[in-house]
Amino acid sequence: MQLIIQSVQVSFLAMGVIFLVLGVLIWVIRVLVHFLPYSAEPAPAPKASAPAAAAGSSQDEDHLAAIHAALAHHLGKSPQDIHIVNITSQ
Amino acid sequence: MDFSFQEALNKILHSTGFVAIEPGQGVMIVISLVLLYLAIWKKFEPLLLLPIGFGCLLANLPLSMMANTHEGGLFNIFYFGVKHEILPPLIFLGVGALTDFGPLLANPSTLMLGAAAQIGVYTTLIGAVALGFNLQEASAIGIIGGADGPTSIFLAAKLAPHLLGPIAVAAYSYMSLVPLIQPPIMRLLTTEKERQVRMEQLKPISQTVKIIFPIASTLIVVLMLPGVAPLLGMFMLGNLFRECGVTARLHDTSQTHLINIVTILLALAVGSSMTAETFLTFETIKIIVLGLLAFCFATAGGVVFGKIMYIISKGKVNPLIGSAGVSAVPMAARVSQKVGQESDKSNFLLMHAMGPNVAGVIGSAVAAGVFISLFGSGAEGSGHAALETLQTLTASLGQ
Repeated sequence: MQLIIQSVQVSFLAMGVIFLVLGVLIWVIRVLVHFLPYSAEPAPAPKASAPAAAAGSSQDEDHLAAIHAALAHHLGKSPQDIHIVNITSQ
Repeated sequence: MDFSFQEALNKILHSTGFVAIEPGQGVMIVISLVLLYLAIWKKFEPLLLLPIGFGCLLANLPLSMMANTHEGGLFNIFYFGVKHEILPPLIFLGVGALTDFGPLLANPSTLMLGAAAQIGVYTTLIGAVALGFNLQEASAIGIIGGADGPTSIFLAAKLAPHLLGPIAVAAYSYMSLVPLIQPPIMRLLTTEKERQVRMEQLKPISQTVKIIFPIASTLIVVLMLPGVAPLLGMFMLGNLFRECGVTARLHDTSQTHLINIVTILLALAVGSSMTAETFLTFETIKIIVLGLLAFCFATAGGVVFGKIMYIISKGKVNPLIGSAGVSAVPMAARVSQKVGQESDKSNFLLMHAMGPNVAGVIGSAVAAGVFISLFGSGAEGSGHAALETLQTLTASLGQ
């Protein structure tokens, strides 16, 4: 019986320590996020000398990747399961 | 030297394992074959149960000298990595390299779900003591509820090495059964309305925060609980490899080749500890039952705390993500997603559940650290092996 009482005491103490440690971590994260907020990286400046066709192709690829990721997220599927075969601009 | 054909034949026959096999070894061979079956055909944690099963098979073949206790045997050397706390922390290094703290950093309050799910550890601790285990053994059994294989092995090797085999098998078997164990408990403890809660999209986190977090958390947690240093330190180092952006090769090695190699060594070492003398006992049956209870209570603890967060946040938190606080990355998070989609097909909880899931890894490592502080070999002395070594050195210098 004594051992069971000890185990109950250990359980309460240990749960308290776990909540305390993880509580401190929450506070640390909040401080970090407050002082170092996310800021999107600035888009690279377009190169004046780049050929128009190549720039368009790169932009299309970016659009395609974004559509691919959004579709996969929406359908709850792996991006590998989705194949975009054609995009027609209007 | 005279040798008759008959004598030679007799000698060869008596040197085979068939003559030396004992009933207990026969039973253990059957158990190892069951583990292999579960791993290969039922796909229960095959990456671990297969080498554990094969290690068990080899260890129980008579005269093979492959049990972890056979001095100089191959698995005796592998077992050094478990006994001396090398292999589980290296697994944690790889897990850290695979872990994205983004969802946790975006919603830090989910760390509390990882803490709440540890209730399974402590209810099992009390249950194990009630069933006749001492506090050290009960702690090693209780940590099964953390649903973290390397942590279970780490703690069992430290506090109850004679129970390592059953604890490891129970931990990994139940981890593979998470998709079967958790959903009924989740459905039982939540209402349809709660399960349909859609959570806000997570905010992006700056890369600098992702880099500072593993360093800051190592500093704070290890200063608070030194016993957790091997596990949490390696976990955070692996994550730092991932996030810092200047150690691509180390990150790549940690998350692929290193973790695979260490998994093979660790699982074989654990399998080799499953001999008839240590495994075929009534204690094993108790551990298997307690392990299941640990998983159930851990899931319930997470979901109940999720409900508390649901109330406090005025319906913004889906309580289903609480069940992911049991670690078992990423399977527990997938279960939250699956059960959530049963109520609302277009609800995506996966990324929200990854926060408590990662918190569960930290929570179970902290729970192990608390046990080491209380019951570890250094607990009665200075509290830490490194400090004890330092004290011994100081004493010897003073003489």
